Amino acid sequence: MGTSSFFHPAIAFLMTAVALPFLPGRRRWKWLLLIAPLAAIYAAFTNQPGDYLTLSWLGQTLKLGHVDRLSLIFAQVFAVMSLAGILYSLHVDDKGQHVAAVLYVAGGFGCVFAGDFLTLFVFWELMSIGSTFLVMLNRTRESVLASFRYFLYHTVGGLLLLGGLLLRHQALGTFDFGPIDPGSAQPYDFLILAGFCVNAAVVPLHAWLPDAYPRGTVTGSVFMCAFTTKTAVYVLARAFAGWEILAIAGTVMAVYGVLYASMENNARRILSYHIVSQVGYMVAGIGVGTAIAVNGASAHAYAHILYKGLLFMGAGAVLYAAGTQRLDELGGLAARLPWVMVCYMVAALSISGMPIFNGFISKNMTIFGAAEAHQTWVALGLEVAAVGTFISVGLKLPYFAFWGGKPTDWKRSLKPIPVNMYFGMGLLAVLCVLQGVFPQILYRYLPFPEAVHEYVPWTAWHVLQSAMLLGFSGLAFYLMRHVITPHKALNLDFDWFYRLIGLALYHLISRPMAWFDNIWTNVWNAVGLRGLMGTAFGSVFFDKGVIDGIVDNTAYGTRGVGRVGALFQNGRLQYYLGLMTVLALGVFALFFYGVL
Amino acid sequence: MPDNTPDGQGQPGALGRFLASQLSPEKIRAWRIVFFAALALAALLNVFITNHEPHFGLDRYRFFWPAFGLAVGVAMVLLVKKIIQPLIKRTEDHYGDL
Repeated sequence: MGTSSFFHPAIAFLMTAVALPFLPGRRRWKWLLLIAPLAAIYAAFTNQPGDYLTLSWLGQTLKLGHVDRLSLIFAQVFAVMSLAGILYSLHVDDKGQHVAAVLYVAGGFGCVFAGDFLTLFVFWELMSIGSTFLVMLNRTRESVLASFRYFLYHTVGGLLLLGGLLLRHQALGTFDFGPIDPGSAQPYDFLILAGFCVNAAVVPLHAWLPDAYPRGTVTGSVFMCAFTTKTAVYVLARAFAGWEILAIAGTVMAVYGVLYASMENNARRILSYHIVSQVGYMVAGIGVGTAIAVNGASAHAYAHILYKGLLFMGAGAVLYAAGTQRLDELGGLAARLPWVMVCYMVAALSISGMPIFNGFISKNMTIFGAAEAHQTWVALGLEVAAVGTFISVGLKLPYFAFWGGKPTDWKRSLKPIPVNMYFGMGLLAVLCVLQGVFPQILYRYLPFPEAVHEYVPWTAWHVLQSAMLLGFSGLAFYLMRHVITPHKALNLDFDWFYRLIGLALYHLISRPMAWFDNIWTNVWNAVGLRGLMGTAFGSVFFDKGVIDGIVDNTAYGTRGVGRVGALFQNGRLQYYLGLMTVLALGVFALFFYGVL
Repeated sequence: MPDNTPDGQGQPGALGRFLASQLSPEKIRAWRIVFFAALALAALLNVFITNHEPHFGLDRYRFFWPAFGLAVGVAMVLLVKKIIQPLIKRTEDHYGDL
């Protein structure tokens, strides 16, 4: 094992997960949760590019610590987000939720620093397990069912990845995880791509996300919105940059997500569809594949983790306080939850790309990268999605959650929001604004430093263009506010097909099995049962003649010993003392005889 | 007024009181005027500040982005709420998960 100054953040999170169940006390152990994210932040800012923690295992070389600019920028934002997420969840007493969260985060770091496909696969699956529990531990019927579907779906995604990496190894003799040339792509590369696309929620493989994330715990969904899809973005950027199919897929995702978000009534499902949409920007940037586009995708992943985490925190805080996340049941809460509203709006304006907030930098850089690469339709699709984003997350969700045309709802009973939740939200809100005002904070960590100056965000035109686009999108919302009003409903999505496939597989397996079972029962009745009866008669004979004889005689013997024993065990102390004396004398006699 | 007002923890703070005070019809009207004035100002600025690097053809013209935002926004809401959702809408417990 070769190491130098590298510290793997996953180690700190795994140690926390192992230690947590054994930590005593009701609450004091919670402070220890902060150690791992602080260690991760230190590591993300101090680790230097290189290969570390190489292990030989079964004739393979595993690289647990492959560090370069791409892995470092993702590790950095993962570390910051883990700190904000843990701050937000410090009030939770359920150790199980914390163990699931830190295992999940450890999986994310493991993937980001993986230098080979085997290491990647192990941590990929660890994420899948951790996140399943973050949904399940909400402990409602619908969350348990959703977690089961989520796990099944990610198992399929994991198997696609496993099949691809094994076939790739068979063909190339290596598990090395690096760029794959689209010009010489083989079927196994497409299997790996499909596995990654499941986690990136690429349409039509995306429906697990809006199914599971709204059903996770309030704090668990904050973690999930940051790590699974962005880890997938990272692995796509590392292996599949420049694959044109991703540029198209990303644009479809960006528009598809906002269309569904415009229909939805459930606040966290709206945000889930917006993960699909925003990850679409990143996937499109990766598909375009130029240095500025990949920089844009990485910057957008960074900004997105911060504002999406904050959006889920805001919606989660409303759910925590009001007990519902359905917009038609909310409204009139702006004055009741003013700081939640302010933090939510910082995130909403960030995701919309409003000047001053970080989305203004990263979203426009991605669109610029696509346009400069002459991917005009991709760039135009991303602009369309920007309009839909502002309408659905920037206006519709906060309007109906906090105002809704209703007077302030002073009568609604609200559960007090723990102060640590405000700290988590405040941290991310500050970072969203800082990155927007000082883009060099983000620029200095982008994977292609030579391309960072191709796009200058703070020009008069860029500010005015964003202001006009969003302002007049706002006018569209104002005119359409009575049309877009949300109502209780389930909107069919591709999970209808997943369920159909699941049901078909169930019947495919169960019906032939039932048919075979019927045939087997008949054969058994006709042939097997007679044989069994014959064997049974033989067994009975053997049992009566041999076994019973042994067992009965053993029993008789035991009874005889018992009767003799009962003579001595009469409960009278004097008899016992006498017996002990006799025994002691006997032992002494034997000893004396032996000495002699 | 019940005592669980802002965030369920006592009386509303300054921000809560300010937000509550903005819901009167007069204040809403004032905010609406501010909003339309801001839109007008942005459009006016577009007369002087223009796009020197158009990517889509039509975006070389002034007022393209205001028109784009408004048209795409209205079209998207109508498409989604009037055409798509009526086709795919089911009851909340359609799958029996709740």
